[in-house]
Parts: sequence; structure tokens; C-alpha cells
Amino acid sequence: MEYDENGVSIVPFEFKKEIFEEARKDFRYEEYVRGCLNCGVCTGGCPPHRFFDFSPRIVLQNMKSKDPELIWTMMDEYIWACFQCFTCAMICPFLNNPGGVIAILREIAVRRGFESAKKVLKPYSRVLLKLTAYGNQLSPDMIQPDFFPDWGPHIGYASTDLPTKRKAIPMPTLQVTNLAWDVAPETMKELYDIFDEAGVFKIIESVDPSLYEIIQDIVDDVRSS
Amino acid sequence: MAMEISNRLGLADIKSDYIHAAGRKLENIHDELLELEAKGEVKVIHVKEENKPIEAETLFGWKKKIPTNKLWHHKSCGQCGNIPGYPVSILWFMNQLGLEYIDERNQTSCTAWNYHGSATSNPVGLAAVAVRNWHRAYELGLFPLFHCATTFGDYKEMRNLLVENKELRDEVRRIMHKIGRELVIPEYIVHYSEWVHVMRFEIAKLKKYDLSNIIVTVHPACHCYKMIPEDCIYDKEIYAGKRTAVSTGIALTLGAQVADYSTWYDCCGFGFRHILTEREASRSFVMDRKIRPMVREAQSDVCITQDTGCTTTLDKNQWIGKAMGYTEQVPVMADVMFAALACGADVYKIVQLQWHTTDWRPLCEKIGIDWKKSEDEYNAYLEELKAGGKTVNLYEYPLTK
Repeated sequence: MEYDENGVSIVPFEFKKEIFEEARKDFRYEEYVRGCLNCGVCTGGCPPHRFFDFSPRIVLQNMKSKDPELIWTMMDEYIWACFQCFTCAMICPFLNNPGGVIAILREIAVRRGFESAKKVLKPYSRVLLKLTAYGNQLSPDMIQPDFFPDWGPHIGYASTDLPTKRKAIPMPTLQVTNLAWDVAPETMKELYDIFDEAGVFKIIESVDPSLYEIIQDIVDDVRSS
Repeated sequence: MAMEISNRLGLADIKSDYIHAAGRKLENIHDELLELEAKGEVKVIHVKEENKPIEAETLFGWKKKIPTNKLWHHKSCGQCGNIPGYPVSILWFMNQLGLEYIDERNQTSCTAWNYHGSATSNPVGLAAVAVRNWHRAYELGLFPLFHCATTFGDYKEMRNLLVENKELRDEVRRIMHKIGRELVIPEYIVHYSEWVHVMRFEIAKLKKYDLSNIIVTVHPACHCYKMIPEDCIYDKEIYAGKRTAVSTGIALTLGAQVADYSTWYDCCGFGFRHILTEREASRSFVMDRKIRPMVREAQSDVCITQDTGCTTTLDKNQWIGKAMGYTEQVPVMADVMFAALACGADVYKIVQLQWHTTDWRPLCEKIGIDWKKSEDEYNAYLEELKAGGKTVNLYEYPLTK
């Protein structure tokens, strides 16, 4: 890796071009990037635009420019500001889908294990573990006051006497504390096969190798049960 | 400054003959799906007579059959983990109406919350998970009903991608073969709020309380009406067909007032990743763009939602607003939970409002619900369970693997 006088890594133009080509080759690209009037309706309605340096109009314009340098400028934290609400896609007069373009670029960032992606997703590892290893995402025992102090004092309700309170929910599937619902082991095994075949486990390995090892231990246990 | 609100109330029930087409001309994916079925390319889960379908109109005036019976519940990982009254209220209504369904352990998350937050999946992974769950409903002879708006949006997208891309179909078919399943696609992707919408007149027959003094503000979920917008219910008698009709429809049918507010179209601030790892963005959005306008412009008594993430984000992020001097508060719940309250469902055992953080007791008192009695009974019930008592379930596990 080359570095400039400030110690910042210099990314070769060829690599930036490769990233752009990877995005353009995605089978969804033609559907998501059409004509753009630069009208800015997408940015006007974009929720994260109100709080972040982020504009779906710029995303579209950069993609339309076909300039790998401009597209590269979005591959750091920029693409991670998007809320994925698809307001932009709903209101675009040309039926562009900037949110969809963001999804393609994010997929590339995690697939290639970019440092920016690793940094942004580091605090997300607890969720990744739960989803990938057990087949659902938010479990009741994750809602702890120390993780969500900004949700107020009542959030402690969910962390006291949790097994009894969950048992009182009149749906048998929900009477567990470590999963949103009680997923059958055979169902988890099918999910693991899908993740293997679709390359999802490989993606997690590239973005968080330590987490991948923990997940694989759980997967091995469930598969051998 | 005092806001003039009288002209905002009642906007929801303006009627029109105008069909909102939004200037779009898209392929009707339903017709393309049936063509693929005719060629033997895919199997289709059809809406049958036994599903007792009720027809609704979508954005372009296309017809969508909403099955109301013999349903397979596709639960939401956010709802079940965090807002249990959401799925319980759906099942409670189905019991009240004598409808058949299955809820079971043989279901995975759609994994789309994770995808939109972290991108750690891809179209093949998302489509294979979708088809895996669809096939489970298919082999039981049931029609799948999706509880979460992100599942609804993701599955609409996956259906479209599968119909339009042979390579994706072939890859998903290969994976399904490996896990002993087939490539099946439902004739319609149906969200629970659509079930509530078409059943609203039946639900209203169960009404126990007068809601005429209750001011409702509706927060429509982005992944319901912005993802694949053409496949979302619109009704010329609700907002003159210019906004999605779901959730507003049930509130109006139950006799509540639905008030407009200037930021109705904004998202909730969930952001998929932001709600967990960049919460200052979510909570600022909640207070500035949603809760304050709902309270200041509409004097809302309750915010009605139709999605997991929206309910969580809008409910949980109000308390912290006090640190910035924001005093506006409004209870948040899904349309089906509000309807269950109106129809006399127990506040604690069924609607499970005890898990919510923003105070919902003033709403109950305004409706005339004795929440304290319900709380006392619930606490006694918890003691019974601790002593080894059995849960009174809405249903028992079916005999499935």
C-alpha cells in the first residue's frame, strides 16, 4: 500500500475503477440508475439529509458521471448514512432508486471487507451474531438498561422477571427470553445451508473474522445436535 | 404560537373518484408471475376460496386479493422480541372472528432488517430465505401473512426480482433443492395491516368503546408504501386515494378522528443501523420530525403505526427528548393494537402495553378503559405463573417439526 506525505493511504485508480465496474455489473444497476434531471426531489425528501452530509441526488449524479474517483468518495462513511427508507425511490420522477444504489455499494464494501465498513459495523456485531446464528434478530434479553439508557427508566421493566413476563405472553412461540421466538433447530439448519450457499457466512468473515468464528462454533453445535 | 387545527381534522375521509397513478407505468408483476407458472417455471401459492379473500385496490387501481382465513403467520423478529402485544393482538382478533391459522417454530426472520442495516447479505441470500419461508406455508396448505413492514417490502422486492431474473430463480431453485424445498412464490405478498384493513368492518362490529373524542395521527411505514409502491392499498374514500389507506381505514371505521400533520410522509428515523448504533440521529428525527408535529399541529392522543421499527423508534425515543426541553409525548402503538383496545382486549394480557415506554395510561383513561384493574389482574397472573401455573394461550403448538 502506498501512502502520501500525511500517512494517508493512496488507493490506485485501477482499484477505484474496479469498484465502479463491480457496481455497474450488478444485475440491479440498470433498474436503479436511469436518467437524472438533477431536480433534487430525492434529497428534498431524504430523512438522513436533514442530519448528515448525505444526498441521494449526489449518489445518482456520481454514478451517472461514471467517474471512479467520484464514486470512490462515497465508499467510506457516506453510504452508511442512508436510512434505507426508499423515500428517494418513491418520489423520483425518473424512477431512479438511489437507496438501491446505496445497497449495492454497501454490499461491495462488506464483501471486500473495507476498513470503513468494519468500523461502522463494529457496534452491530451483537445483532449480526443473533441473526446469523439463531435465525432472528432482536431478542428480549438484549433490551437491557445499560445498552439503552436513553430509552428511559421504564426500559428496566423488560430486564426484571423476564422469564415470567415472557411466559405470560399467550403465544407459545414467544415464551422464550433469548430469541424473539423459539426457532426450531431444523429451521436454523436450513438457514445455515442458505447462508453457506449464498455466501453470507463468507461476507461476515470478511467484515468481522472474530465474530465469524463465534458464529461458526454455534452453527457447528446446532448442526451436530 | 397557537396552531389552527380545525381544518386538519377530517382530511382522512375526503372522497374522490380520482385514481392516483403517480405518473408511473410499470409492469404488472402479478400477471408476469402467472405467465411463469403457466410455463412451468415456478409454483404459485394461490389465494383460494377457502382463504375467504376480500379484494382491495392498489396504487394504480389494480386488484389485490387479501386472504383472510387459513393463514400462516410470518412473525417479526422486532415485534416478538420487543412489542409482543403486536402479534398477540393479531391472533386475538383471528380467534374472535373464528379464523384458522398456524403460528409455529418453523420460521426464520426475513433477515432484511439486518440487510438494510449492515448489507451482510445479497439478493440470492435474501430471496432464498424468502422462498424458504414461503415454501413452509405452501407445504402446510396455508397462505403466508407477513407481520413486519420490512418483511413486506423485502418480500415484494424479492418476488419482483425472482419474476424478472431467470439467473436468480435458477440459483434460488438450486439452494431450495439442497434443503429439500421448491421454488414457490405467493400470488400476492400480504401485510397484516392489509388484513386489518379489509377486515375493518368485521372488526368494528366487536367495538366496545366510543372513540369519537380520540385524535389519531397515522405514521405509515416506508417499507409498506415506498418500497414497491404500486403494491400497496389505496382507497378513493380515504385521503381521496392520495395516500395509502391502511391503518387510517381501521381508525376511521372504529370512529376515531384521524388528524393530519405536516410531516406525515417522513420516515420514523429507524434507519436499521442507526436505531442500534447511531441513536442520536434516530431520536432527533423522532422528536423533531414526528412527535412534535403530531402533538403541536394535531394535538394527537395516539400515534398509530403499521410496522415493527416505527413502533419501536417512535415509542422508545420520546423520554430522552426531555433532556432537550421537549415536553411533547404521545403513546405509540400499531393499528391492530389500537383496534384491540377499542374492542375490549385486555390492556396487559393481550395488548401488552406494559412493554411500551411512553405513557399510554392517559389514552386508556380518555377511552374509558380501566387499566388499573387490568394491571392488578396481570400482576396476580404473574404470581400464579411463578408458582407453577400454566399460561392461558391463544392457541397451542401445531404438530409440526
